[in-house]
Amino acid sequence: MSSWYDNCGFDNEIVISTRIRLARNLSSLPFPSIMTAEQNEQLKQKVKEAIAGSNTPFAKTLKYIDMSAVPKNEINAMVERHIISPEFSKKAEGKALVISDDESISIMIGEEDHIRIQIILGGLQLEKAYAIIEQLDSILDASLHFAFDENLGYLTECPTNLGTGLRASVMMHLPISERTGEISRISENVSKIGFTVRGTYGEGTKAAASLYQISNQVTLGISEKNALDNLKIIATGILEKEKAAREGLDKITLEDSVFRTLGTLKNARILNSDEMIGLLSMIKLGTSMGILNREINPIKLLIEEKPYMLMKKHGEVSPSERDILRAADIREALKEF
Amino acid sequence: MLCQKCGKNTATTHIRTVVGGVVKELNLCSHCAAAEGYTSLSHNSLAGMLASMFGEAVELGSHQSIKCSVCGSTFSDIAKNGKVGCAECYKTFNQELLPYLKRVHGSTKHVGKIPNRAPLIVVEEKETVESLKNQLNRLVSEEKYEQAAVIRDKIREMEAKGNE
Repeated sequence: MSSWYDNCGFDNEIVISTRIRLARNLSSLPFPSIMTAEQNEQLKQKVKEAIAGSNTPFAKTLKYIDMSAVPKNEINAMVERHIISPEFSKKAEGKALVISDDESISIMIGEEDHIRIQIILGGLQLEKAYAIIEQLDSILDASLHFAFDENLGYLTECPTNLGTGLRASVMMHLPISERTGEISRISENVSKIGFTVRGTYGEGTKAAASLYQISNQVTLGISEKNALDNLKIIATGILEKEKAAREGLDKITLEDSVFRTLGTLKNARILNSDEMIGLLSMIKLGTSMGILNREINPIKLLIEEKPYMLMKKHGEVSPSERDILRAADIREALKEF
Repeated sequence: MLCQKCGKNTATTHIRTVVGGVVKELNLCSHCAAAEGYTSLSHNSLAGMLASMFGEAVELGSHQSIKCSVCGSTFSDIAKNGKVGCAECYKTFNQELLPYLKRVHGSTKHVGKIPNRAPLIVVEEKETVESLKNQLNRLVSEEKYEQAAVIRDKIREMEAKGNE
């Protein structure tokens, strides 16, 4: 079963992925921060039953996992491939996850809200992601009766999510906009209209591999459709700016950088995570500009060679052993190119 | 730069607010910032910002003794960590929360998805020609014409009654 990052390497040159999440709470229980252990247990059971009893295809494709049964390394690997939030990974006790085979759908139970539904897809696919999440939301609501107020919309633990409870974000690869400083100008401008530009792993993280997340900030007083339409317009605008900036690059200098980077990756024997991230960002620029074979999927490598994802494949190893294994994996992945 | 309020001390706190797309910037010294209620803005998360804004109201307001009938939270509990206790809290502390929602979102009125079951409840509680017209506009913009037609007829019916 292929993941979102299997499908983000080819046509989707600049927009890497689309993610939408909905924050929902049951009106019958207090919000997570003051829930008792017993109420927490009720919450998990209710959500589990709501899905199993829904009599929809979701009942068959979604799998329920108690997070306390998941090894810590695997939980960290889930964060690395963007299936769960860093917040959700902090404490496994009392939490549960409902997930589809391809991991495009995940429902976090016991995050900041009772339920956080997430859809993640490769490329720019806001309409498709919203169609799935909207359907799933309605199915769950039929039996869970989410807390909703005529004026304030869906009620959430943090008032910043009130209204639609919708956070949509697109992850974009913006190495040239970053280099020219365009990214800080963009960041400032979009903040004025209720959007935000952040590093790869959400709030409080800095951008790695020139990957930026653009997402809506305002959830009250704007419809889902308008928020998504605006995000699409912003993402398209940023994409066009990045494309234009790329056109202006000196071709031979760029080719030189790209091929030197490829040479390093094809020959390195030790590769730490930070170095890999920087090098793969250059490879990504090379593939999207047609300098390198488009069958190379640097984003897939970037995800799969992160520390915990790597240990998922190779077992528990020390950081220095990881750097050696990482270099070997990448040499193997690039040997045909 | 000197504090824009007292004009004496050096400005150490930069405050930037965005309300409905309008950006306001202010440079204050720590003393004036505290007096304006921007005490804990140093941790720059939204929750922290909320907590500091709420904190202002807790000091000014007399609502500390009121408890939510469902979860028992007081407004100062909510202010402390920027997290609301339960769905009922939004009713209990509605008046206290509204100004802050306005600051954060620039609006206090939900215009997005309404759960399928909700319109029934809404109809029973409060339905004005105006709210129906809003619903109608929303349905039309979403191209849900069949549902829009039902609402349109309702508006006509209510307007006819009103004219009698």
